[in-house]
Amino acid sequence: MADPVFLALTVITIGSAIAALELRSLIYGSIALMGALGGIAGFFFLLDAPFVALFQLAVYVGSIAVLILFTVMLVKRELIFKKIEDKRRKFAGIGLMLVVMVSLGAVFLDSGIKTITTDEPQVNFRDIGIDFVTYYWPALILMGLILAGSVTGALVLAKREDVENDQRTS
Amino acid sequence: MSVIAPKFKLSEFIKSILDDAFWTILILNLIGIPAVMMILFFIEMPVIHGELLTPFLALSWIADPTRTLPIIQSFMETDIFRVMAFPGFGFAALLAAGTIFVERKMLAKLQLRVGPFYCGKLEGILQLMGDGLKLISKEIIIPAKADKPIFWAAPVIFVGAAAAFVALIPVAPGWVVADVDLGLLAVFAVIGFFPIITILSAWSANSKFPFIGGIRALFQMVSFEIPLILSLLGVVILTGTLNLSEIAASQSNFPWIVFLPVGAIVFFITMLAELERIPFDLPEAESEIVAGWLTELSGMMYGLVQLGTYLKLYAFAALFVVLFLGGWNGPSIVPPFPAEIITDGITMGPVTLKVPGLPIFSQEMLNGTLWFVLKTVGVIFFIILPRGVFPRVRVDILLNLGWTKLIGLAFVNIFIALGLLYAGVLGPGGLQ
Repeated sequence: MADPVFLALTVITIGSAIAALELRSLIYGSIALMGALGGIAGFFFLLDAPFVALFQLAVYVGSIAVLILFTVMLVKRELIFKKIEDKRRKFAGIGLMLVVMVSLGAVFLDSGIKTITTDEPQVNFRDIGIDFVTYYWPALILMGLILAGSVTGALVLAKREDVENDQRTS
Repeated sequence: MSVIAPKFKLSEFIKSILDDAFWTILILNLIGIPAVMMILFFIEMPVIHGELLTPFLALSWIADPTRTLPIIQSFMETDIFRVMAFPGFGFAALLAAGTIFVERKMLAKLQLRVGPFYCGKLEGILQLMGDGLKLISKEIIIPAKADKPIFWAAPVIFVGAAAAFVALIPVAPGWVVADVDLGLLAVFAVIGFFPIITILSAWSANSKFPFIGGIRALFQMVSFEIPLILSLLGVVILTGTLNLSEIAASQSNFPWIVFLPVGAIVFFITMLAELERIPFDLPEAESEIVAGWLTELSGMMYGLVQLGTYLKLYAFAALFVVLFLGGWNGPSIVPPFPAEIITDGITMGPVTLKVPGLPIFSQEMLNGTLWFVLKTVGVIFFIILPRGVFPRVRVDILLNLGWTKLIGLAFVNIFIALGLLYAGVLGPGGLQ
């Protein structure tokens, strides 16, 4: 008997993922996307990884979803989307998705993932940090450089002044 | 001269009151008490005086005063008390309500006005209650083309998110609703929900002013979240933990504001922006865009958003206290509970009253709560003070401040913390 929390999370995640693709209203679609991302955060909580789960919430639900909402609200969708209603294409898409999911699931179940024991001690975020500064230090420095570059780029973009607009010259 | 009730008869008035009393008692006896008993059978009951408190004994505290305090004490240890009353929603809502009144009165005094004056005999002290009754009894008007599900849900979710934020704040040693190991990360995750709720509420009203206000709120909150998170990393580096209770406990000797003043200043400014307070109140700039993203909210929906805003204000002030001002730590000024009352009881002439279950609160908890509330009220004072003094800044100045100056200062703060850590002055292996 599967865990009811796990089942509920699965239903929420997959259901809202399907809703995110299928809903006609873009705003409701992005809300459903938030639901799917939040469901994934719930899976991380179930897997005893609260660090990853909270980052999933803070980054994906808190920032990425906001960006998507923002874009959806500011773009006139009539200009880029043409409504194509085609029942056969829709069912073909759902069928293709089911085939892909079932085959992927079969591969996973066949790969011996069932025999993995799950009573390993919980990985502390301090251990992750220590691993980062010892074994994975090149990756850490690369990430740091990329992040520093993006922050600097953002600062440069924010500093840029539109010279043509003479009302804003401070 | 008109009369409110022209056909008033005292005998019929008394009869109607007696009627009401009769039906109330009848319904209470037939439905109320059996329902309470049925609910009690499903609740885990405490052990009082070495005997399990069964539902048949549950109402005996009315007749037996020696049982009252132990029952209250066991109730205070339950989760529901923590969530509803003391470190959770009730306590925060009380402080938030006090903040609303003090803010109006204090701003009035700052600007040489009288402020709330007529409601209640003394300095308009009942103004808040009057406002609350007005908001509850007001009609809720929904714009015709609004997106109704989101429009209804947004204020409720806003209060829910604010309450989740409040639940993470430790008030006294051991008195916290959710003692999460990654408390600060949970705070960041909860803060991330506010822009979504704001923009959804603003969009769903289907009106120009809320939408402009919502877009401004989104700009402001998202860009100020980055310096907010960065400014708190210094404390995390020095304490080596993300648990808010441990961070508060680590400041028993000195608060972190002594060593990280830059971070505290950056956090304070970003806090003002996240709370949409003057000078950063562009999302609800009442002289430009009516009331910003709150324009179309009416009645108790507006009341809920207002409650959520002030809960958020309390939570941010409390977070500042926990991270930079030492949380509950402070000199012990609450006197210990007199021991002879516990051992001998209270003697009044020939009567001696022995009260089991005293003291209800430990001295440590009372002292911690006192210092916490004092510091939080001080921080709230400094949050609402700029409203009486400063004008509103322009949106490009605001974004420029957030993206260039505050992020730079937050990095300076991180380097100060790292310097202290590697010099061996503070942190794990240092003074701590």
